[in-house]
Amino acid sequence: MIGNDVVDLQLAKTQSNWQRKGFLEKQFTLEEQQAILNSKNPFLQVWLFWSMKEAAYKCYVQEHQKRFFAPKKFKCKILSNTEGIVQINSFIYNIKIILSDFYVHSLAVKNKNKKMVSALFFINKKSLQTKITNQYLLSYFSDEVRLHKNEVGVPFLYHQQKRLPFSISTSHHGDYGGFAFTLENEL
Amino acid sequence: MTKEELIIKLQVIVKPYIQDEEAFKNLTEETDFINDLKINSANLVDVVLDVEDEFNIEIDNDSMEKMLSVKAAIEIIEKKLSA
Repeated sequence: MIGNDVVDLQLAKTQSNWQRKGFLEKQFTLEEQQAILNSKNPFLQVWLFWSMKEAAYKCYVQEHQKRFFAPKKFKCKILSNTEGIVQINSFIYNIKIILSDFYVHSLAVKNKNKKMVSALFFINKKSLQTKITNQYLLSYFSDEVRLHKNEVGVPFLYHQQKRLPFSISTSHHGDYGGFAFTLENEL
Repeated sequence: MTKEELIIKLQVIVKPYIQDEEAFKNLTEETDFINDLKINSANLVDVVLDVEDEFNIEIDNDSMEKMLSVKAAIEIIEKKLSA
């Protein structure tokens, strides 16, 4: 199981207003709200937590094959500048955090010793974000490999109609795209 | 309020967040906020907050969890309005 999430910080500034009434309360636990309000950069803290939750959600959906919108159930803990964990019920996901002035990229895995490949890249064609993100991921595989999402939106790779045994995840937001996949058989 | 009136109100609410014009024009009860309208998941909470403001209701966490489609949103709004 693997999940990744990209936030374009420039776009996040205009696309959402984290200071809107109810915004924090609906999506963040009390502890997270405190951390945001006490942070030197509350805006960045909001989107770091959000990205961690979203990456963990993608892992969780791969495992449980059910969609829902409950960001508050995903409880974030930041361990260092590059690591965190997200817990939902009894499930714990390890998060690798990549932060820059322009984006946040979170990678979620259940077992952090699993080998994986991930990337973050700039996309300059606004209308083709999904296609370009998929192409970057597919460039690691043979020409015949295709990407399809199932009915709950979980992506899989197929080679001549046969599903490949890797977990994959794609994400894009604004000018940035990212992906991650496991190198070991998982499915 | 009829279901048609609810759908029209919902359409106004989601318009600022949609990223697929075609799906928006053809919006029905079966339309999915994320898969069809391509609403960014970070904007789903804005839809929830706008629905609360527009209908003067409170959407609890359990209801919010299900609010991924027009159909689910309508069910939740109808239930809260009749409560």
